[in-house]
Amino acid sequence: MKNLKVGFIPLIDAAIPIAAMECGFAEREGLEITLMRETSWANIRDKLVHGLFDASHMLAPLAVATSLGVGNAGIGLAVPFGLNANGNCITLSSRLYRAMEEILGHPPQDPIQSARALKRIIDRRKAAGEPPITFGVVFPFSVHAIIVRHWLRLGGIDPYGDVQFQVVPPPFMVAGLSEGVIEGCCVGEPWNSRAVESGVGSIVVFGAEIARSAPDKVLTLRNETVETQGDTIHRLLKTYSQAARWCQDAGNHANLAHMLAQPQYLNVAPKTVMNALTGTLAISRTESRAMTDFLSFEGDDINRPDPRKARWLYAEIAMGLRGALDEAQARAAASVFRPDIFDAATGNNALPELADPIGLKFGPAFDAGNLQGYADALMQTAPGES
Amino acid sequence: MTDQASILIIDENHARAAIIQDGLREAGHGNVRWLNETSNLLRHIAEIDPDVIVIDLESPNRDVLEQMFQVSRLVKRPVAMFVDQSDSVAMHDAMVAGVSAYVVDGLRKERVKHILDMCILRFNVFSRLQDELHEAKTALADRKVIERAKGIVMAAKSLSEQEAYVLMRKTAMDQKRRLIEIARAIVTAEGMLK
Repeated sequence: MKNLKVGFIPLIDAAIPIAAMECGFAEREGLEITLMRETSWANIRDKLVHGLFDASHMLAPLAVATSLGVGNAGIGLAVPFGLNANGNCITLSSRLYRAMEEILGHPPQDPIQSARALKRIIDRRKAAGEPPITFGVVFPFSVHAIIVRHWLRLGGIDPYGDVQFQVVPPPFMVAGLSEGVIEGCCVGEPWNSRAVESGVGSIVVFGAEIARSAPDKVLTLRNETVETQGDTIHRLLKTYSQAARWCQDAGNHANLAHMLAQPQYLNVAPKTVMNALTGTLAISRTESRAMTDFLSFEGDDINRPDPRKARWLYAEIAMGLRGALDEAQARAAASVFRPDIFDAATGNNALPELADPIGLKFGPAFDAGNLQGYADALMQTAPGES
Repeated sequence: MTDQASILIIDENHARAAIIQDGLREAGHGNVRWLNETSNLLRHIAEIDPDVIVIDLESPNRDVLEQMFQVSRLVKRPVAMFVDQSDSVAMHDAMVAGVSAYVVDGLRKERVKHILDMCILRFNVFSRLQDELHEAKTALADRKVIERAKGIVMAAKSLSEQEAYVLMRKTAMDQKRRLIEIARAIVTAEGMLK
């Protein structure tokens, strides 16, 4: 039996790969796995592409972009398993958050309110000739960047003209906010809580408030591995299925928090992990917010990779690059998500698919059959004015 | 002949950066700078405006460089990752050594290859030095434990230093264990029984 090398970034959403090993699911399937901790998504991509890893925890949009050759040389990747939905927050610098409170007369209550207040701040700053607001995101191709753009549009803000985006590695987000390099960011936990604890920022939006089930991290392999090691991969997915169920079960959250908090994984306090698992976060010095589906590991529309989600990611990546939508590229993107492998491994009999695979809570619904229509509708909406 | 290509090293490890810098200078690259900035990296890169960027793979800042593949208002010149799939051996070697290089607009490939090869060499030299240092430290620590154990055996059994050592070595050989393991067991036992 070959030893499988699986890459991961120390984040809470690496829970399934970690639990699959720690809970003994992998061992029971006769799998020998070595988890390889990495510090950047670029490393993850390059080590997977060049065969230093057999599989990896990866940003869903990066799997699509890498397959399409956007931002790199391009190699066929396969996504047979979704690792989580949501779990990210938009956090603003304390100064920006206070300006928002002053405009509203109270802390922002929902994403539309906060985005409209931000629009007024941006207009004011433009009139005064001040530089645009910069948002930190974790990677050029990330659901984090997509979520911020959707939120900005709720306030009638042009995500491509009115603000700037800059990649900031999560461990540097808090410093970026406190030094004023960025004034807002979208990142997973524990980094938002860190910003709140240290008084440099306040959480304004939970990602799950923007989309019900945006694909966040996925398990990614090279196509070549799928072809040559089908049986091993099936067994890996079986263990991930078991791990997903275990991670989602609230009764296991205390154990999971301790498991992930260990030095070889996240190296943080178990309490910090627990907050994200339960979805109860301090969002500012004085308030906290709870959302049961803040972060999800298991569900019909989470683990089974839906090719329509890959089409959505492609459309969002192309819009982010200000490029035209191309049906051939969209089809290539869709083929990266492989429900067939998932079904074969887990014995799943293709579930009835949800009408809307993303579940955007505002703006036009996503129609996988009409990407151009979706893009046009997005560009036209300015709900801030409605 | 000195190559005037401007090279920027991004590495949080001061010692390793110095080793790479020396290597590049010896190889005739006179224009080398080092940065260990953790925030606002893009602005610093824009100011330095290098031809080649060499980055330590341990640095989370690699993801910041990815942004330069796209049109960015912060970077004046387009950037590409040097080793692409056409040179997968070089890419593999670089990743194993723990280094990656980015090229800013139009430098000839052979020149960059020369720079990267030098960096791989120096990264490996640094790893070897670290391994040696680690081994030396372990050996020193082991020797201290063995000395302690010897002292305990001498006192407990009224033996000379040489006799204590012979006894420990014989025990290790009989049990097919290493001398340091026996010494650790003696020290642990003594601590427990005290």
